[in-house]
Amino acid sequence: MADGADADGAEADGADLLRADRLLVGYGGTSVCAPVTLGLAPGRSLAVVGTNGAGKSTLLLTLAGLLPPIAGSVDFDGEPVDERRAGFRRAVATVLDDDAFFAALTGREHLLLTARGHGVTGADDAVAAEVEAFGLGERIDAVPSRLSSGQRRRLALASAFVRPARLILLDEPERRLDPGMRARLARRLAAQRDTGTAVLFASHDADLVQAVADDVLTVDEHACTLVDAARGAAYLGGL
Amino acid sequence: MNGSSVRLTADPAEELAGRDVRRLTRGAAAARAELTILGRAGDVFGHLVTGATVIALLGGSLQSFRTRMPGTTRPLIGPPLPGAVTVLAVSVMALAGVVFVLDRLGPLNATPAAAAWWLPLPAGRRGLLLGQLARTTGVVLAVAIGVAVAPVVALTSHPTPATALIGLGWAAAPTAVVLAVTAVLQTRDRSGLLAPVAGAIAVLTALVVLTLAATTAIVPGALRLPATLAPPTWVEAALGALAVLLLAVAARGLDRISAAQLRGRGAVAGYAAASVLSLDTRDLGRALSGPSRRPRHSRRFAFVTRAWIAGCAADVAVLARDRLRWGQLVLAVGIPELVAHIRATGSVPLAIWAACAAGWLLAAVAVAAPARAANATPAIDRLLPLSTSEVVRTRFVVPLVVLAVVCGLTGLLLGLGAGGAGEWSVIALAGAPSWAAAALRGAYRPDLDWSGELLATPFGPVPVGVVATMLQGIDVGVVGSLPLLLAFLHGGPTPALIAGQLAWSVGLSAIALSGLARRLGRPR
Repeated sequence: MADGADADGAEADGADLLRADRLLVGYGGTSVCAPVTLGLAPGRSLAVVGTNGAGKSTLLLTLAGLLPPIAGSVDFDGEPVDERRAGFRRAVATVLDDDAFFAALTGREHLLLTARGHGVTGADDAVAAEVEAFGLGERIDAVPSRLSSGQRRRLALASAFVRPARLILLDEPERRLDPGMRARLARRLAAQRDTGTAVLFASHDADLVQAVADDVLTVDEHACTLVDAARGAAYLGGL
Repeated sequence: MNGSSVRLTADPAEELAGRDVRRLTRGAAAARAELTILGRAGDVFGHLVTGATVIALLGGSLQSFRTRMPGTTRPLIGPPLPGAVTVLAVSVMALAGVVFVLDRLGPLNATPAAAAWWLPLPAGRRGLLLGQLARTTGVVLAVAIGVAVAPVVALTSHPTPATALIGLGWAAAPTAVVLAVTAVLQTRDRSGLLAPVAGAIAVLTALVVLTLAATTAIVPGALRLPATLAPPTWVEAALGALAVLLLAVAARGLDRISAAQLRGRGAVAGYAAASVLSLDTRDLGRALSGPSRRPRHSRRFAFVTRAWIAGCAADVAVLARDRLRWGQLVLAVGIPELVAHIRATGSVPLAIWAACAAGWLLAAVAVAAPARAANATPAIDRLLPLSTSEVVRTRFVVPLVVLAVVCGLTGLLLGLGAGGAGEWSVIALAGAPSWAAAALRGAYRPDLDWSGELLATPFGPVPVGVVATMLQGIDVGVVGSLPLLLAFLHGGPTPALIAGQLAWSVGLSAIALSGLARRLGRPR
């Protein structure tokens, strides 16, 4: 299950894959939003919503171990999150707001690097499947500077699916995608969740939230509150 | 989307190691590159020839500088400080500079691409970063040796291959040690701690030099300082061994470096590199200045009753909260004093004048920080009800006051050694308006126009007029200090030179400021 609450904090379930307890996130000792307590079990999905600058990306960076928390704790699989451990990187796939690629590598080579880096069996087939799934077609053999920003986004998202993961963590995955691709992504994320992967994503897209999320965490400076997907989508509509 | 039908499996035994990830990335890129081995060898050869030519030219210039400049027999600014003191001071300040830059840039960091595609892989960080550690070490040592070659050869009385090697070793070994220390600290998640310490050490060294020079000038023979610094060669060897040991420790700890740190340092390095490549030194300063701190106290500005006072108060607040700028101001006074008291340069008027110009340029850069911020964000200058010319005049006030203090103090300290402290301080003070105008002219200089005509150079295309644009600011300061050069060449300031310096500096600053106001007044 996914649960969450504000500072007074509901107890998270013992089977949670990812768990944050009174987590305060921010930069230089200054928090950007209220403390967060949440738990995310395998096969569940949680959407993080809020206004621009509410702290969604900062929260995701902290949950991914890419930013030290100001206070509180984040555990993955019962251990404090430490992205320096290979086991953590093996289990968690992240696509944040990076639009960064090796200039001389083609899209296919980026995906192969990821798949082979993770020891994926049949890496070429796995890459081919994701190329088709994300509609990259022949463009996959172009270098990133020859791709449109939407195609680069698809490429980045494909990297999260081209290797096995127990948790997928995405920051506004809908960004720069056309409506058709957004719908396909929603179906893909839901399917991934149904196979037992935990999915956590920040989003401004009410349709994506409603299609994928079991629960929604609303984030702002006063309180971070857990609501159901329908209320979360309504909250997004009111922003 | 039918990718979901594929059930992925992975075998940890088949995962790529860090070295393999690097090799795969490099191989894929190389396969697309048109550069052949022969072409690459040609490039390396070209760079080596260029480097050797630059070093030879520098060495030759330094030697002729020593032998041909007027007044080589008599120190201009009192007795020189012992070589032991000046060599130590220069070395400490240079090493502090190296530490400052290395600590700000990592020394290990990840490009955005590496952060996005390498760091999330299960491959060990050691394998991913070992190549970068080796490359960084090589580049830093090459730069240290390259910088040291000319002075070591030119300033040694009878250089032999052995003395040259030992001299270069003294440049390389301590540099390698400080590089290794910064790397080890980074593996302990302590990166970023050394830059402020290095800055403080450089400032402290400047203060020590100033104190020693003033004491020697006021009470000759009061200090008993060692004449030369001749540490045994085994110390150099020990430093080299220590560097190797520390580098090995750093290499072993590479797995402990967090992605957050590599991403952060990579962003700084990328910003700094882009500033260098776009030839915008203002951005380079911003990149290396480190994170800003939240002020401890909020100011109420109760004394602000006019718009121009508000502008000046804001400038003072920005400068007062930035300790880096305070350090720069101390160094600005220390550099001329140090050069004036080095035996080889203390008898060369041009060298002391150049050191004054370098120090005051540093002060002008420090004091222009608020103006640079306003240039980057023009809305800041529109916050107050002031016309463009009033904005320029308002922004001139704080630089003028600060540079008057810096220039006056520099002149006073030089004058203590040379005799005539009053005259020297007044002529230096008279140059302050041109350096204050230089600060504003440099801060508000126009961006390079990369959309216009480009000039092909060995370092790639650069916009036409790049040098003229980059020199905006420095030009007014340097030209404005020419009467001071005459004073150095003449052996001391005369009343006519002092009056000329004041008139020249005030006139130049007035022209520079009115030109700046006109340019800023045009729509941007």
